[in-house]
Amino acid sequence: MTNFSWLLDGSIVGLYLLGTMIAGVMVRRYVSRVDHFLVAGREMNVYLGIASLAATEFGIVTCMYTAQNGYDKGFAGAVPGLAQALAMFVIGLTGFCIKPLRESGAMTIPELFEKRFGPRIRWAAGVVIVLGGLLNMGVFLRTGGEFLVLVCGFDVKYLEITMTALLVAVAVYTILGGMLSVLVTDFLQFVVMSAGMLVVTGLILSQVGWDRLVGAVQTHHGAGGFNPFVNPTMGWPYVIFNLLLNAAACLTWQAVIARILSAKSARTGQRIFTGTAFFFVCRFMIPGLWGIAALATLTPAEVGGNTLHAMPKFLSTFLPMGMMGVLVAAMLAADMSTDSSYMLTWGSVIYNDILAPFRKGAWSERKGLLVNRLIVALIGLFLLFYGLWYPLKGDLWTYLGVTGTIYLSSMTTLVIACCYWKGANNWGAAGAILFGALVPVTYLVMEQLPATAPLTRQIGPYYSGIATYVLVALAMVIGSLLKPGAAGPTAGPLPSHSNQKA
Amino acid sequence: MRAHLFWWFLMLAVMVWYSTVTIYVTIRGVMDIRQMLRRLKDSRGEES
Repeated sequence: MTNFSWLLDGSIVGLYLLGTMIAGVMVRRYVSRVDHFLVAGREMNVYLGIASLAATEFGIVTCMYTAQNGYDKGFAGAVPGLAQALAMFVIGLTGFCIKPLRESGAMTIPELFEKRFGPRIRWAAGVVIVLGGLLNMGVFLRTGGEFLVLVCGFDVKYLEITMTALLVAVAVYTILGGMLSVLVTDFLQFVVMSAGMLVVTGLILSQVGWDRLVGAVQTHHGAGGFNPFVNPTMGWPYVIFNLLLNAAACLTWQAVIARILSAKSARTGQRIFTGTAFFFVCRFMIPGLWGIAALATLTPAEVGGNTLHAMPKFLSTFLPMGMMGVLVAAMLAADMSTDSSYMLTWGSVIYNDILAPFRKGAWSERKGLLVNRLIVALIGLFLLFYGLWYPLKGDLWTYLGVTGTIYLSSMTTLVIACCYWKGANNWGAAGAILFGALVPVTYLVMEQLPATAPLTRQIGPYYSGIATYVLVALAMVIGSLLKPGAAGPTAGPLPSHSNQKA
Repeated sequence: MRAHLFWWFLMLAVMVWYSTVTIYVTIRGVMDIRQMLRRLKDSRGEES
């Protein structure tokens, strides 16, 4: 039984959806060029950038997994958030990679690679980024739908229809207004999402109480619920792997980097990173606390077999009418901002890098806009059929981790080498891309085979993840040095473009 | 006990920082959007 009232809570949600659609569609008339569509004419300032980055990187799927971390690991489950905040703050402060990337004037990461590694690596990197990104995003829609079903208590048979309607709404304003619509709706969604999350957290702290939450973690997880280094399922490998993974995500996750590339200048991009860094602690702490509240108040029988569902089950009975509408609007805002940004992000790589060899001569702005809109529409269709109407089998978390690592390990190595090592060349880049895919896929296959499954359990996903980053870096160095005639620098400094704005 | 205190302070920091940033970004974000739309309007008709 849920406290969701269709009259009161449904009205709050309907009002939010109406406001978002009007704002998203209204700004389409400002889009007259391809760079308006893909990077908002590089006119994004700091505070809009902070709102957009925060809204993009928090979806329902994020909320579900971070809450599950809180339920399964206690407060120590927030370690990935601390790692990401630290990585983003240091990168923002130093401008490591993001400064030369923004100053290069590239619209996507692969476009930067062409300057050092040539067109083939640009194309291959585009394919890896789009494959990793789309496969990763393919599971967002169903997870979001499951949250809404559990919280609102509506029949599971309406899940597909509800999420299809939501995706169509997001696709409409993204197709019409591109990055401009994404930024404006992201801003609205940041406000709604943040207000909802703060109010719900305040209610939990006041009604469940801090002492009871701490007591539940102490009872179920002991000291390991507070200290990751003494937690038997975490330890040093978990912390190191998360530092590597989150630093890589800050440097090369195209949806994050799109904010740097849309910023008015490299300095603005750096300020967006330092300003948003602490949000990534909030991103794990707040839903993590919701998961701990489920641990403190629900019995294992009430939670059922899947701890992923603990938090939505807790909220469905904990929140009063009216507050349920605020929560659902906040979560819809979180999900819509993520979906719209991701559709545009992967679409921009397809247009800018994968289709590049097939473009004969310069396209007119009109044709470029039309092709971009078609690509976003096709991505929407892919998400609909892959993520919603074709349910995935198997362990979702492993799936997300593997698709993410294939992309992040090789692209991070390429970005760092491209920006800071003059000896890097296309042999090293090809080796890095190959090993970046080979190691995680081999681990996944070995995990499934009965003969090698015990060995993979012994190695564990964290050592395997750390090994991937090390091997990819070695492949880049050895591959670059092996290329005949590659003793000295093979390329000059990255060209800088004067598209920085005051 | 020190670990408990660490998480208490972190949770307090999260609530204070997030509330403050939400209010501040809401106000400044509106100004950013207006400025961005004005500049995009001025650049219409130019080539990428």
